[in-house]
Amino acid sequence: MNIVLIGLSHRTSPIEMRERLAFSDAHISSALSGLIDQNVLDEGLIVSTCNRVELVASAPTDPQKGLDRLTSFLCDFHKLDLHTINGHLYRHANTEAIKHIFRVASSLDSMVLGESQILGQVKEAYQSAINAGTVGRVLSQLMNRAISVAKRVRTETGISQNPVSISSVAVELGRKIFGELSGHTVLLVGAGEMAELAARKLMEDGTGKLIVTNRSPERAEQIAREFAGSTVKFEAFYDVLPSADIVICSTGAPDYVIRPAETKQALRSRRKGPVLFIDISVPRNIDPAVAQLENSFLFDIDDLESVVGANLRERQHEAHAAEAIIESEVEQFLNTLRSLDIGPSILEVKELIAQLALGEFKRNRKRLGNLNAEQEAAIQEILIPALVNKLCHPVIVHLRHAAQSGEPAEVLDELRKMIRLD
Amino acid sequence: MEIMWIVILIGYAICAGQSILSLTTKRPVMSRFALASLAVAFGAHTAWLVVQGIRTGRCPLVGTQEMCAFLSWGLVLSYLIASRWYRANALKAFIFPIVFVLAAIAAIAPATPGRPDGLNSPLQGVLFPVHAGLILLAYSSFFIAFGAGLMYIIQERELKHKRLGTIFYRLPSLETCDDISFKAMAIGFLMLTLGIAAGLMWSRTRDGQYYHGDPVEIFTVFTWLIYLLLIQSRFSARWGGRAAALGSVVSFIIVVFSLVGVRYLGTLHGL
Repeated sequence: MNIVLIGLSHRTSPIEMRERLAFSDAHISSALSGLIDQNVLDEGLIVSTCNRVELVASAPTDPQKGLDRLTSFLCDFHKLDLHTINGHLYRHANTEAIKHIFRVASSLDSMVLGESQILGQVKEAYQSAINAGTVGRVLSQLMNRAISVAKRVRTETGISQNPVSISSVAVELGRKIFGELSGHTVLLVGAGEMAELAARKLMEDGTGKLIVTNRSPERAEQIAREFAGSTVKFEAFYDVLPSADIVICSTGAPDYVIRPAETKQALRSRRKGPVLFIDISVPRNIDPAVAQLENSFLFDIDDLESVVGANLRERQHEAHAAEAIIESEVEQFLNTLRSLDIGPSILEVKELIAQLALGEFKRNRKRLGNLNAEQEAAIQEILIPALVNKLCHPVIVHLRHAAQSGEPAEVLDELRKMIRLD
Repeated sequence: MEIMWIVILIGYAICAGQSILSLTTKRPVMSRFALASLAVAFGAHTAWLVVQGIRTGRCPLVGTQEMCAFLSWGLVLSYLIASRWYRANALKAFIFPIVFVLAAIAAIAPATPGRPDGLNSPLQGVLFPVHAGLILLAYSSFFIAFGAGLMYIIQERELKHKRLGTIFYRLPSLETCDDISFKAMAIGFLMLTLGIAAGLMWSRTRDGQYYHGDPVEIFTVFTWLIYLLLIQSRFSARWGGRAAALGSVVSFIIVVFSLVGVRYLGTLHGL
């Protein structure tokens, strides 16, 4: 039993190549059934996202043949030459393949280390392969283990703890100041793309209310409508400043739009706790002196970037712990795989002994005298299977032990000879 | 030292160590172990107070040993109540070291076998524990307010200086700190007021006068006035955020220093 994997990712190939080799949702199930080829590959699964394409399969006999078959399938399906894609692909078998799929599911191979989307995408890929009927006992074991490894990495390391994008840092800062975001108000001063992104994230994370102001009112209206917010004239936004808890500023203005004197006034008339100012405009639109005011917290784009940088470094540090978890899980899974390997042999042994017993029963049937139908059924369906199980039990236990210590082949050969399976 | 106190001290020491450690590490460490130690220590602590009460035939609120034992017990209780409503694990790191110190004082202080004067009628039997118990519980509430205020100030500094390290991520949000601090202060103030009232009534039934000019009495009125001022300025929204947090921290420090000072003046409160 071999697990084989080929693929390409943001690490090995440019976006143009990934686009050409991606599998759309509509084509996944036909692709899956085309992938299976009883002699070379008996199970298959495709993970296809914007950052990667992974083809995972189980090759019952020869891993090299399995890898070749996967590669030629990928070429044929996308009607590309082998030499066009060859430089972009990685090819892994067994230990390396298992490790790769564990790392992918745990987001160790992601563009943004520790992001959570990939696990969902892996689960989806697994589900569509189940629906297409191309997952058997090997890949189901592999994928279930990959998912549980990913969860273990997530809970036992800090790899996905601190935010690593500008807008999620903004949300995190909001949380650290206000606790729950619901019931708080966001004021968007200037409706640039970045500001919209941050506002979207804040609204998705439960912020109560949005007020938008912009030099051109149409754009403000547009954003306000999308998030069920309200607008205010650009000249008059200082009037609503006291009601805002989070102020996101990004206008194209060449100088400071939010100045300390007016802000101080607004903070005083506010009569309640702190305000978070986020300035994502370059040049800056909030006077840095605003940060000196009591109960005001100001973060400009450089501050946010440096938080992102620090958190990314933190995640990279945590990745070492994650790699250690993966190593030990791969080792464990190899053991599982080895005992899966002896599964068919166990069945064969059982089958053979059962046939022998049944044959002997039939041969000696006359000597047993008169039996009614009930008694005969009891012998065939209860006595003989029970006897077979009893006889096979120590053999199976012995095989499992051999499998776990990694040397099942010799024991298996020996056994086959003993009961003349070959 | 009784074996009971050894158990209690070990339990609280584990809690204190674990909570400080958790504040500086990325993931909470040994949290189950600490929770189990807390359960054992708090159980033993409660049992000690009950046994002491039965043994002396009065509420265990007399003398340094019993007062420290009760105060630390009240602190743990206040923490348990606060953690029921808020996700504020970091609070532990401020509370358990103090709990440990108070429990250690109780463990080594000599027992106070006697009964205070004025426990002759059933009414006095009720007024004394209400008076002493409520005032001690009020102080543990003020301590929670102090701890939450301190967390606010630390967090605020980290935000202002944009140092978003491990401690920053471990602390609860500013609004949570503010909320805990204010509520603890308000509850503490209510208990202090009721405790003082019970004390006045007890004093009246005991020797016919409300006021003895005892340093502890003056000090308690002083404390009451400070917290009244703090709460009043909160309601009038003159102070919010950092100023309020600073207020709860500074006033608690003033209260503790005067309490220690008063202790050396010699008083009929036998602190």
